[in-house]
Amino acid sequence: MPPVGIWIDGLIQSCTYMTMAFGMVLVFSILGILNWAHGQFYMMGAFVFYYAVTAAGIPFPVSLLISGVLVGGLGILVQKFIIERVNIPSAQGALYVTVATIALIFFFEGAASMIFGMQDKGLAMVLPGVLDLGSFSVSYQKIAVVIFTLVIMITMYIVLNHTKVGLAIRAAAQEPNAASLYGINVKRLSLLVMGIGCALAAMAGGIMAPVYIINPFIGGVPMIMSLLAIVIGGLGSLTGAIVGGLILGFLNSVVAYHLSYFSEVVLFVLVIIILLVRPQGLFGASRK
Amino acid sequence: MRYIDYKTVLPRTVAGALVSLIVILPVFTTNMITLSIFISSGIWAVAAMGFTLILRTGQFSLGQAAFMAIGGYTSAIFTVNLGWSFWPSFLLAGMVSGIIALIVGSIVLRVGGTYFSIITLALSEVVRIIAQQWESVTRGTRGLITSPPSPIAIGGFEINFYASAVPYFYLTVMLVAVTAVVFWQIGRSRIGGTFYSIAANPILAEHQGIPLMKYRVIAFTVAGVFTGLAGSLYAHSLTVMTPYMLGLWQSIQIMIMSVVGGVGSLAGGPIIGSIVLYTFGIYLSRVEIYGIQQLLFGGVVVLALLFLPKGTGLIDLWDRFWRKVVWREEEYEPDTPDD
Amino acid sequence: MSYLELRAVSKLFGKLAALQDINLQVNKGDIMGIVGPNGSGKTTLINVISGYYRPTRGTVLYDGKTISGKRPDQIAARGIARTFQSNVHFEGASVVESVMVSSYLQYRTRSWQAFFETRAYKDEHEAVVGRVLELLRMLDLFNDTFMPAEGLSHGYQRMLGIAIAMAANPRVLLLDEPTTGMNHEEAMFVVENIKKISEQGVTVILIEHNMKVLLNLATRVVVLNFGNKIAEGKPEEVMNNQEVIDAYLGTETE
Repeated sequence: MPPVGIWIDGLIQSCTYMTMAFGMVLVFSILGILNWAHGQFYMMGAFVFYYAVTAAGIPFPVSLLISGVLVGGLGILVQKFIIERVNIPSAQGALYVTVATIALIFFFEGAASMIFGMQDKGLAMVLPGVLDLGSFSVSYQKIAVVIFTLVIMITMYIVLNHTKVGLAIRAAAQEPNAASLYGINVKRLSLLVMGIGCALAAMAGGIMAPVYIINPFIGGVPMIMSLLAIVIGGLGSLTGAIVGGLILGFLNSVVAYHLSYFSEVVLFVLVIIILLVRPQGLFGASRK
Repeated sequence: MRYIDYKTVLPRTVAGALVSLIVILPVFTTNMITLSIFISSGIWAVAAMGFTLILRTGQFSLGQAAFMAIGGYTSAIFTVNLGWSFWPSFLLAGMVSGIIALIVGSIVLRVGGTYFSIITLALSEVVRIIAQQWESVTRGTRGLITSPPSPIAIGGFEINFYASAVPYFYLTVMLVAVTAVVFWQIGRSRIGGTFYSIAANPILAEHQGIPLMKYRVIAFTVAGVFTGLAGSLYAHSLTVMTPYMLGLWQSIQIMIMSVVGGVGSLAGGPIIGSIVLYTFGIYLSRVEIYGIQQLLFGGVVVLALLFLPKGTGLIDLWDRFWRKVVWREEEYEPDTPDD
Repeated sequence: MSYLELRAVSKLFGKLAALQDINLQVNKGDIMGIVGPNGSGKTTLINVISGYYRPTRGTVLYDGKTISGKRPDQIAARGIARTFQSNVHFEGASVVESVMVSSYLQYRTRSWQAFFETRAYKDEHEAVVGRVLELLRMLDLFNDTFMPAEGLSHGYQRMLGIAIAMAANPRVLLLDEPTTGMNHEEAMFVVENIKKISEQGVTVILIEHNMKVLLNLATRVVVLNFGNKIAEGKPEEVMNNQEVIDAYLGTETE
């Protein structure tokens, strides 16, 4: 039985992956595309947060929001000027979007390297101190991650299920054509959804920034992990993204503890098996 | 008297002349670096052609580098560990890669498109990790040091791979040529039409009696064979084979080369895409500032996708160049059909 | 033993029964009409026969052998072809390309022969091209041979659908609403062609709403309602059947 620290680490990893996977699935459901550069928005969110807190001295929650808004806005620009233009209606469209978003990974990584430099930046604990719970202690920062994730999930739940916009989003996710017949401007909604997805990634980056280090390369792992999470949970399913993120976070942490190197292989093999046996994941719709 | 259709003949002659120039390149220069650029581009071109072939059936494989690795390691293992000579190992590399493609494809192609892509992505990494961990055979991260093929004596000449890059160059040219011809012929034959139909409308194709799995597996296997050969050549021309050489990132590179070159073309497109992108990559790597390499590479690819007319690639620019610039043809809009 | 038979075939989607306990017997050379209000299961029936769906219960037999559970390409290879209710096509292909690519089953030569363009392949290919052009001529698509399939008008797209199905050299042809959206002339043209096809020995099953077409063509008619077969017989008999009229028009109490 791994020590409590490992479980806690697993929990905060889960939180990150959940948030990111949720954003990714949202984008996938409405726009039908997989944004391979999703991890880069996480990275940029971390940087914006870092600079907002250290250079501008803006308080922590506001910085988080700022990083979400700025990076979400960038996501909207990317969607409008790149993805929409490249996405041709035929099956090839998915291919072009994939190549474009993968190319963007390099673009953003390079840009970040040039603008921010490649050295690791450490962010002093924004919430210093630890909570002593007897045999182990948890840093407040890690607790903040969990709380933040809960807040995000609840907010998303409320927005999606109890607002008009949320209703429009859900309608467009199921049947874009029918939704547009009902007067929903699917194109504008797509931009909004892309913005939300990227903002979620950015805020995940921000909240995790003090826990691990910040450098231009931190986007890669979260991207692959959220991809695996949505595969496990089911490509079109929001609940699936959450559950998938949860499972993956703990799996990653626990397996790494026991097997160190092979943990990567285990994860990949697991994903392959799931895709072969039950491609729709845990919650995805079964397609013919 | 036969009239020559100059609009078809002239572009082809020019293209032929350019290709011939490349082929006789060693006459002009035996500069190691220039030649090695072409050698590497050629190797990637073969892999990119494989990607395009698989794409022709409506699937996109993010695992082609895995087959290069399988080919590379097979020939490395057989030459280094088992003392075989290069040529049989080379052919074996293609066969092993093909057989593995056949097995993997038969299992993995059953699931839908996106899932297939994700599995092939995982495959790239799994192969790399196996290469890293199976120390007893592959020597892990230290890799296997391969040696060039032994000199071949033909007539009075000796083709010496140790002496210069020229024999490698011609070996690559031959591999590229064979692959290009085979793939081009597949594309214009009935098989190519069948591939197209299962990509364009699999349900309709199935109802016309076309067995979807069979043809998907054929494309995947053929691509696997040639990609394995390319991998073997890669291992021997670089004289080393390590796990880091061929992983997910290389699979992505292959995809980008194919797409930018033009997915409509099975031979010309990938070749152009590889040469252009590889050369561009080499120039970029000379720039000292780390970040700018990636930024420019990513940026250029995105720009290429934005500015190339929808759904086309570099190879299609050739056609458009002749039509719009040389012949000054107007764009022809067909009449709307009568009812 | 009839040529094409459905025995106690049911198709359920979750709890929804699209087809319930259908028994059907089609004899060789029949032209069988399938009618029923929307949602009665007509297309599902064709989907089950063609192999696109596997029946939840029951079996489909063709020429004495079970075909239910086989893949669509296997069933097509045995001689059953179909058209689709919506205008399906191969993206970006011209009319002739669409039909050529659909002629897969007409070739006996193997893939390697096609690759090397052997004499045997070339001869066969020429014959197939000839037959395809004949098909296009018969269905009045000849003038549009090189036109992109998507550019055709609705009526001609339906014709193309029939040409594509016929390119598979079927002995049983399943037509899903072949004349929908056509005016009277076009519909009668289709009727002519179906008659020709039937005369060539092909057994035809067609889903139709157009009564004139049915009266003209069908030897027998089957009526479906809510997935059940409610009537069967000659067209005139079935049309005057009270239950059928109620199904289409609804009964007094509703």
